[in-house]
Amino acid sequence: MLHRVRERPVLELRNVCKYFSGIPAVEDVSFCARRGEVTGYLGPNGSGKSTTMKMITGLIEMTCGEILFEGEGIQRDWTEFKQRMGYVPEEPYLYPQLSGLEYLVMVGQLRGLPAKSIRERIDGLLRLFSLYADRDMPISSYSKGMRQKVLLSAALLHNPDLILLDEPFSGLDIGSALVMRSLIQELATRGKVVLFSSHELEIVEKVCSHVVILHRGRVVADDSIERLRTLMALPTLEDIFAQLAVEQDTAAISHQIVNLILA
Amino acid sequence: MTRIQFRVLYRKFLFRVVDLELLAPQGDTNKLLGQFAGLLIFCSLWLSLIAAVASGPDRYNLLLETLYAWMAQHFLIATTMLAVGLFTVMSWETTFPDRRDVLILSPLPVRARTLLFAKVAAVATAVSITVSALNVFTGLLLPWGFASDGATHVIRAFGAWWVTQFAAGLFLFCSVLTVQGLAQLLPRQAYLRVSSWLQTTFFILLLTVYFLQPPFAEVRDLLSNERALRWIPSYWFFGLFHQLNGAALPQLAFLAPRAWTGLSVALCGVAAAYLISYFRTLRMIAEQPDILPGRRSLHWLPRFGDSLQTAVAQFSVRTLLRSRHHRVVLTFYLGIGLGLAMFISHTHEVYLRASGFGEWYRLNAPLLMASCLIMCAAVLGTRVVFSLPLEVRANWIFRIMPRAGVTRCLTASRRSLYALAVAPIWLASAALFFRLWPWRVAAEHLALLAALGAIVAELCLHRFHKIPFTCSYLPGKTQFNMALVYLGLFLLVTEWAADREMAALGNTALYVITLGVLVTVALLARWRTVAAARSEEGQVQFEEMLDPAVFALNLHRDGVTKIQ
Repeated sequence: MLHRVRERPVLELRNVCKYFSGIPAVEDVSFCARRGEVTGYLGPNGSGKSTTMKMITGLIEMTCGEILFEGEGIQRDWTEFKQRMGYVPEEPYLYPQLSGLEYLVMVGQLRGLPAKSIRERIDGLLRLFSLYADRDMPISSYSKGMRQKVLLSAALLHNPDLILLDEPFSGLDIGSALVMRSLIQELATRGKVVLFSSHELEIVEKVCSHVVILHRGRVVADDSIERLRTLMALPTLEDIFAQLAVEQDTAAISHQIVNLILA
Repeated sequence: MTRIQFRVLYRKFLFRVVDLELLAPQGDTNKLLGQFAGLLIFCSLWLSLIAAVASGPDRYNLLLETLYAWMAQHFLIATTMLAVGLFTVMSWETTFPDRRDVLILSPLPVRARTLLFAKVAAVATAVSITVSALNVFTGLLLPWGFASDGATHVIRAFGAWWVTQFAAGLFLFCSVLTVQGLAQLLPRQAYLRVSSWLQTTFFILLLTVYFLQPPFAEVRDLLSNERALRWIPSYWFFGLFHQLNGAALPQLAFLAPRAWTGLSVALCGVAAAYLISYFRTLRMIAEQPDILPGRRSLHWLPRFGDSLQTAVAQFSVRTLLRSRHHRVVLTFYLGIGLGLAMFISHTHEVYLRASGFGEWYRLNAPLLMASCLIMCAAVLGTRVVFSLPLEVRANWIFRIMPRAGVTRCLTASRRSLYALAVAPIWLASAALFFRLWPWRVAAEHLALLAALGAIVAELCLHRFHKIPFTCSYLPGKTQFNMALVYLGLFLLVTEWAADREMAALGNTALYVITLGVLVTVALLARWRTVAAARSEEGQVQFEEMLDPAVFALNLHRDGVTKIQ
């Protein structure tokens, strides 16, 4: 807590909302992410997590509110902001006709990195992510985990200050997931701002120091995990999440499903 | 159960036979098929008019009347075969059960036999619709002209005509499918690699044979060309029609048996192809991934400017070279250009041969026109495929990039267009014309051709504020109904321009003026394109916009105050 008071927020969302054809997807969302912290961004499906991420990246426009990066509105200088941001989207959409190497080179070129440093970094990342042997294969032949690694490499290639990770563990095997977990913590330790969205509450509990829980497009909790546990008198993040964001009686629903198919 | 399954699958497969998203208004299948059928019926109407003019009775000269009727018959049979061939090439992916069919239907209690029968029935229906729609006017009107007097003869001519057209269409369809089916004997991934090249080869082969087959200006031409006729299927079915109609010349009697033999072989071939699919391919599809194996091939591409321009241009080049769908669409445009070029050059060659004026490759206006047509077709086709996205959801990577301004993207698109269309056609033309003509004439024509390429490229890029292959696409905007009119006007202008160029190539002053005008037009076109890109609304576009439901009329009260 003392740490949070000391650090100025790097990323700040103020009353952000997004409406699709008048229907609210995100409403009045405000939270901060600080340097050296991994901020967990949690919520059930359809709660607006990916929509928020996309608004931060500029993929979709917000309907109202403000997003600040180092105290300045991100729209003031998109180029500067995007240059300092890395993003791993929820779905591994990549160009299947390119090889992993070609895709990463393209991303490096689009970001304006010098040709020599592009190749050095890409080769290093491909080796560390165990993709080097498959670098010339078309992405269409990659597994979901391999695609996820390509996305992560592309997001880290330019040494961004802000890293947005939307379900980064999707499709990763156990070994890669462990590497990813350490990597996220290491990035935060090195002063990066990490906004991390996931449904894997156990991982979030281990990796994140601070969580924002979203429910039906609104923030229902925004604090450190420790403090939330104390305030709500619940032992785990899963219990906290279930109390704040899960409305359904899960046991009753599964009981009804079984009854339905047996009828 | 099986019957219901057959009906459901038949309907699904029928609506999926041809990937016609270019013609589809907002992807509506019924509208799509309706528009396709309308297009064929429209062609039929035009063909019947052309054939009626060609076979117009000249009662004073029975020989001439016969000749015209024969020319019309052969033209229509060859055109039906071309249409069916093009249909087969367009439906290449859907004529045999594919990976999607197997993966979706295998877990369901559907027999492989039912799946295959439904596929065959859907494909057969689609071919029948194509032949019927294309011949709806010609098949009703022209047999009257081909029959001698008497109701029996007319009925016989009708029967003979429709049997011949269906047999010709079936022959070509089955032949293509046989080759495709036999290629499935290859390992699955080798087949996938070969398949796209086979598709392109068939496309070019169909157009080449259609436009280059020996025409006949006199009956004796036809009779003296026996050796060539033995190998050209459209003449076999021409002979078949005469046999069925009971009016075959003894000298052409050898053609009909060839048609029957060819049809039998093709039918056996297609049966074998479907059996291979049933016993071998269906199993292999499930077992082997439907992806091309990686190859350590040449990955090097030149730089196309700064890093962003290089990234966009290299992406465009790689996408076009590797995406089968985009290659097929481009081949379609190139095929039209190549077909017209061959037709124009070939007609001129026939004229030269008949009049004894010289060889086809001497400097002449049709050859100039042919090279211009191919250049225009290549640039236009490449621009069209630039608009068709590949994996549109992957375009987020371009959208979050910091420096992708519209002017720089336009430069990258321009360089891609030059690299993929203008430069290859120009280089091929250079290789041909420096070989055929004196170097000075060739160089002069190539300079004009380069200027023309630049003009067409700039016109095509006007308001193209996109990164190639990354913007979503709303089908149905293509005005196919107007395509023939535009094409006709374009051909008239090209013919006029080729005549002017012929005059300019023999006159230095006129040539300099012509080149100067073309270069000025190219520069103006480029200025206009860049100005549009720099305008306020010049944003890189990633989503195609629908036309607004309500158009603003921008009316002004008293000529000044805007009405709100």
